[in-house]
Amino acid sequence: MTSRVQSPLIFGLLALAAWQAIVMAADIPEYLLPAPSAIIANVDRTLVVQLAVTFVEALIGFLIASALAFGCAIMFVRFNTLEEGLFPIAIAVKTTPIVAVAPLLVIWLGTGWWSKIVAVILICFFPVLVNAVKGLKAADAEYRELFQTLGASRAQEFRKLRIPYCLPYLFSALKISSSLAVVGAIVGEFVGATQGLGYLIMVSSAHLETATLFAAIAAAALAGILMFYVIGWTEERIVFWHSGNME
Amino acid sequence: MNALALAAQLEAITQFRPEALVTIENLKVRFGDVVAVDGLDFSLRRGEFVSLLGPSGCGKSTLLRSIARLVPVASGRVVLRDPHLRIGFMFQKPLLLPWRTTLDNVLLPAEIQLGGSVVDQTDHARARRLLDMVQLGDFVDAYPHQLSGGMQQRAALARALMGDPEILLLDEPFGALDELTREVLNEELIHIWQSRETRLHTILMVTHSIPEAVTMSDRVIVLTDRPARLVEDVEVGCPRPRTPDDPQAVSVMKHIRALVRGRR
Repeated sequence: MTSRVQSPLIFGLLALAAWQAIVMAADIPEYLLPAPSAIIANVDRTLVVQLAVTFVEALIGFLIASALAFGCAIMFVRFNTLEEGLFPIAIAVKTTPIVAVAPLLVIWLGTGWWSKIVAVILICFFPVLVNAVKGLKAADAEYRELFQTLGASRAQEFRKLRIPYCLPYLFSALKISSSLAVVGAIVGEFVGATQGLGYLIMVSSAHLETATLFAAIAAAALAGILMFYVIGWTEERIVFWHSGNME
Repeated sequence: MNALALAAQLEAITQFRPEALVTIENLKVRFGDVVAVDGLDFSLRRGEFVSLLGPSGCGKSTLLRSIARLVPVASGRVVLRDPHLRIGFMFQKPLLLPWRTTLDNVLLPAEIQLGGSVVDQTDHARARRLLDMVQLGDFVDAYPHQLSGGMQQRAALARALMGDPEILLLDEPFGALDELTREVLNEELIHIWQSRETRLHTILMVTHSIPEAVTMSDRVIVLTDRPARLVEDVEVGCPRPRTPDDPQAVSVMKHIRALVRGRR
């Protein structure tokens, strides 16, 4: 457990030290490549506020998308016609690049929170839907026969078999979409915003404030990592029984 | 329906022994394009332990599933003398829910029967008693992945008994277990069937082991390879408790082996 944290930490610090040494030795100007020390010096209250804005947008969109996608997955599996009719449309929505849709969202929803949240929803919805549908169908036919011999209703089959069986699939989708959520929020901010990490990145790159740009990039990565680990932590507690041996 | 046909049907009905619980009449079951069971007749009487014996994949599992109404019948009938007869089913795999403890797995049939309401103390007490009966009294709070294959199948047996069945249909219940565990579990199954601890009185078991069929059953129904047709309905008739090396049992095994070989 400790080595799982320790060794990446050691390698990370070594890489940062090398970076710092190269920048200082070669005397690289800050607007091209700032040294780690210059980036850290740029961490201030504004950055934390921008990070919080982006994180909240990503989190809200992620939660709405997950709930919506899981609900849709249940309907798809319960009513086959829905899946046949709507799944191709869902794929079409998925293949449309979010960057292409984002300007439209700003026209419709303005430069406030909602254009970002909807961008996050659009990017997070699909992976959760696909995996949840797969997970809800994953229980062996024999398990369904067992429920049949016990006289279970369709609702009971979903509640007591299909939904718990789906949880490992759901969580692996949530991990994927949690990192995508931050991407969605930043794309939304690129197009039109007055705050958030995406806004900070646009402004600092226009002014060649490369150290601030790096700090914003690092903060964006941090937001993604944070989401990912919170979900991993929840997963370990809820899907504790899933350790590969489902027999 | 003309009078002659009616008379013939009446005669057919009166010929059944009165205690027949389940009657299989000219049963035909299809599995896609394949005929799994073809024109089978037999009956299961109250209190009997009957084995369905045949080569692997001969359609005997399909037959068992059609009695449990898991598989539709192509033609013929499965007649239950009492439509409210409680039938339990045990699969070859334990099929325990991995997110539930042993106790909660055994409580599953009670939860399903109750619908929305929560299981009460009586159900809990009964589940614990059944787990004691299958020697899992110390493992009520264990999760399936913490149990051995034999223990998982014991839990599955307790779960099947939780529905309070009168008839238990067993599909090679211990087939995936090692020989030693399997023998012990077979003996315990016989004990549960003979004891009056549960309301279970009749067992129909699918197996492909001749010694297992002969040592456990009152009758062995020998089936052909796919489609499953009746070869012979063998009355075992040895006194219990039996061992596989009782001279009488050995001669029945020889007879059945000759039947199975003769068919190939």
